[in-house]
Amino acid sequence: MKSVPTPLLSVRHLVKQYRATGGLLSRPAPLLAVSDVSFDLAYGESLGLVGESGSGKTTLARLILRLTEATAGSVRFDGIDVLDLDARSLRALRRRIQIVFQDPFGSLNPRMSVGAAVREPIEVHNIARGAAAVEKVTQLFQEVGLDPSYVDRYPHELSGGQRQRVGIARALSVEPDLLVLDEPVSALDVSVQAQVLNLLLDLRERRGLTYLFIAHDLAVVRHIAQRIIVMYAGRFVETAPAAQAYSEPLHPYTRSLLSAVPVPDPRGQRQRIVLKGDMPDPRHTPAGCVFHPRCPHLKKDDRCRTEVPLLREAAEGRKVACHWFEEPMTVPQSQAARHVN
Amino acid sequence: MSELLRVRHLTTSFMTGAGLARAVDDVSLTLLEGETLGMVGESGCGKTVTALSLLRLVDRPGHIAHESVIEYQGKDLMQMSPAQLRQIRGAEIAMIFQEPTASLNPVLTVGAQVDEAVRAHRSVSRADARARTVELFELVGIPDPAKRVNEYPHQLSGGMQQRAMIAMALSCNPRILIADEPTTALDVTIQAQILELLVELKQRLGMAMILITHDLGIVAGVADRVAVMYGGQIVEQANTDALFRQPAHPYTSALLRAVPRLDQPATRLATIPGAVPPATAWPPACRFHPRCPQTMDHCKSEMPGLTETGPAHLTRCWLAEEQHRRDA
Ligand SMILES: Nc1ncnc2c1ncn2[C@@H]1O[C@H](COP(=O)(O)OP(=O)(O)OP(=O)(O)O)[C@@H](O)[C@H]1O
Ligand SMILES: Nc1ncnc2c1ncn2[C@@H]1O[C@H](COP(=O)(O)OP(=O)(O)OP(=O)(O)O)[C@@H](O)[C@H]1O
Ligand SMILES: [Mg+2]
Ligand SMILES: [Mg+2]
Repeated sequence: MKSVPTPLLSVRHLVKQYRATGGLLSRPAPLLAVSDVSFDLAYGESLGLVGESGSGKTTLARLILRLTEATAGSVRFDGIDVLDLDARSLRALRRRIQIVFQDPFGSLNPRMSVGAAVREPIEVHNIARGAAAVEKVTQLFQEVGLDPSYVDRYPHELSGGQRQRVGIARALSVEPDLLVLDEPVSALDVSVQAQVLNLLLDLRERRGLTYLFIAHDLAVVRHIAQRIIVMYAGRFVETAPAAQAYSEPLHPYTRSLLSAVPVPDPRGQRQRIVLKGDMPDPRHTPAGCVFHPRCPHLKKDDRCRTEVPLLREAAEGRKVACHWFEEPMTVPQSQAARHVN
Repeated sequence: MSELLRVRHLTTSFMTGAGLARAVDDVSLTLLEGETLGMVGESGCGKTVTALSLLRLVDRPGHIAHESVIEYQGKDLMQMSPAQLRQIRGAEIAMIFQEPTASLNPVLTVGAQVDEAVRAHRSVSRADARARTVELFELVGIPDPAKRVNEYPHQLSGGMQQRAMIAMALSCNPRILIADEPTTALDVTIQAQILELLVELKQRLGMAMILITHDLGIVAGVADRVAVMYGGQIVEQANTDALFRQPAHPYTSALLRAVPRLDQPATRLATIPGAVPPATAWPPACRFHPRCPQTMDHCKSEMPGLTETGPAHLTRCWLAEEQHRRDA
C-alpha cells in the first residue's frame, strides 16, 4: 500500500446552513450554502475551486478560516481541529492561513497608507517591530513587484492591480502556509490579471505556498491549479487533476462550463452547450441531482429527478456526482449553439 | 451594405480636478447595416465614453468637441435639437449597459419600465403597451412572460435582468444596438445565453450592433470587425479574422498574448508592463510607447496617425506603418 502523507488541510462533511428567510413570493426556507463537502489539500498543492455565482465558494473559504461558523462537519489544518479552537489559538492559526479577496478596496482601510496596512499584521503577530518591520515591508513590496516608494500612498491612489499586490503583500507578511485566494484577479484587466497570475506562480515556487484558488473563470484557474473542484449549488459535482478536468471533463455541468468559455480565435470557434435557465435558488434546491433541471445530457431520466448522485470515484484521483457520467454526452440540438459571423 | 453610422473626429473631454481628461480623442468609425463592430481595450481606454458620446449622452463636466461628426443615416446628431435627439435615442439607436441593476428602477416592476420605453416613442394605450412588453419578454426568452412582467428587478436573476434590459432596448425596433459590456457581470453559462440571444436577435431583426467588451474571446466569436482602443484613441481596426491572425499594433498583440486560454498550454502568461494611465495624463506622442516592447525614438516624439496597413486594416503605429511600406 502507498503511504499517504498527512494533508495540510482536511475538510470533512462540512455544512453551512443559513437561517430560514423568505422572498416576497417564496415561502421561508433555510438556505444550504455548503452541503456536506469533503476534500484534502496537500502541502504545496494548488487547488482550484470553480463554480458560478452563488455556488458557495466564498462561504466554503470563510468556513475554513472560521470567519463564518460552520453548521456541521470538521476542518483540520496541519492536524489541528480548527472548528474547536478558542479565540487565542484561532489568532495563532490565522497567521498560518491568509485570505486575499477579490476587491482589495473592500479589504484595505481607506485611511491607512498601504505601507501601514502591510506592517500592521507583522506587528500584531509579533513578527518584527520598528525598523525591522519597516525593512520587512520594503522587502515585501519588492517581492510583489511594487515600488517601495508606494508605502506612503493610500489605496485610492493605486490602480486595481497595484491594490491587489498590496493585498497579497499583506497576506504574505505573516508568512502563512496556506493562501486562500478568493477571485483575486476577477476585477482586473487581462494585462494586469496576467501580471498578478505570474506573481502568484513565482511566489508559490519561491515560498512553497499552498493555494486554495477560487475563481469562476476556468481559463484563469487552469494557469494556477493542479487539481480542480467544481461546485454547483453548494455541492461538489466533480473533483479531478486539472489536466484531466480540462481535457476530459466528466460531469455534464463541467462539460457545459468549459464549452461556454469564449475562445479568443475567430477560426477556433467550437460547438458550445448553452445551458437553459439559472442555478436553482439555494433555498429551494430540486430533488434528486441539483443539476437536473438544467442538465443537457440526453440520458437524463427519473433517477436524476429523484435520487441524489453521490460523489464517487470515477478513476484514480477523480470523483464525479452523476448517474450517467460513463455515457458519452450528447445534447439536444436546441442547446447546441455556435456563434457564426 | 450601406453606412448606417459615420463618426469622424469624435473628441470628448472632461474637466476634472486633475486637469483636462481627454477620454475620447479623435475617434472615427463607420458602422454598416447589419454588422457587428466589436470595441475592445483595457479599462479606462474610452470605450464607454465613446458609446455615450455616440448618443450625445455626455453630461457636464463632459464636453463633446464641436468639430466632432456623428452621422446617423446622413443626419448629424451634433447639429440636432434635444427634441430631434430624443427621436433618435431608443427609437433608432438603443443602448444596454454592463450593470442591469444600476439601470433598472428598483421600485417599479420590470414590466412597467418596459411599458414606459414602449410608450416613449409611440402613442399607444396602456393595454397595448403591456401587450407589446409581454411580446418583447417572450422575444428575449424570459419564461412565463405574462407573470414576470409584474415582478420587481430584485426578484429576477442577473441574467433575467439583462434580458429585461435587452427587451427595453428593443422596444422600438432600433436599427443600432450599442451593448456596453452586456455580459461582464454575468457567469460564463449565463453569458453564453445572452450572447446567443443577441446574435439571434440581431439576425432576426436585422440590427447593427456595437459590442463593447474587454473579453477578446467574445469579440472573436461575435464581431465582424473590431476596433481596439488605447488611451482614448482607436489604435487598430480590422476585420475580426485579420485582427486575430495578423495584429499589426504591438498593443493588440500584447493583449492577445495576455489572455488565458483553454486551447493552449497553461504556461506563464505574457504581460504588458505597467497600467493604463489616467486620461488626464496620456503620454506624449504614441500613447502606448511607455508600455510598448518595440518602442523606437520616433514613437516618443511624434504621434502616429491611423494609417492603412492592410486591406481594410488601419493601425496607429510607426513600426506597423514602416513594415507595411517595406512589404508593399
Ligand atoms: N450571510 C449570509 N446569509 C444568508 N445567505 C448567505 C450569506 N452569505 C452567503 N449566502 C448565500 O449563500 C449562497 C452561497 O454564497 P457564496 O457567496 O458562498 O457564493 P459564491 O460561490 O462565492 O458566489 P460568487 O461567485 O458570487 O462570489 C448564496 O445563495 C448566498 O446568497
Ligand atoms: N464623468 C467623468 N469625469 C471625468 N473623467 C471621466 C468621466 N467619465 C470617464 N472619465 C475618464 O475617461 C477615461 C475613459 O473612461 P471610460 O469609462 O470610457 O473607459 P472604458 O474603456 O469604458 O473602461 P472600462 O473598461 O473600465 O469600462 C477614463 O480615464 C475615465 O476616468
Ligand atoms: Mg464569492
Ligand atoms: Mg466602460
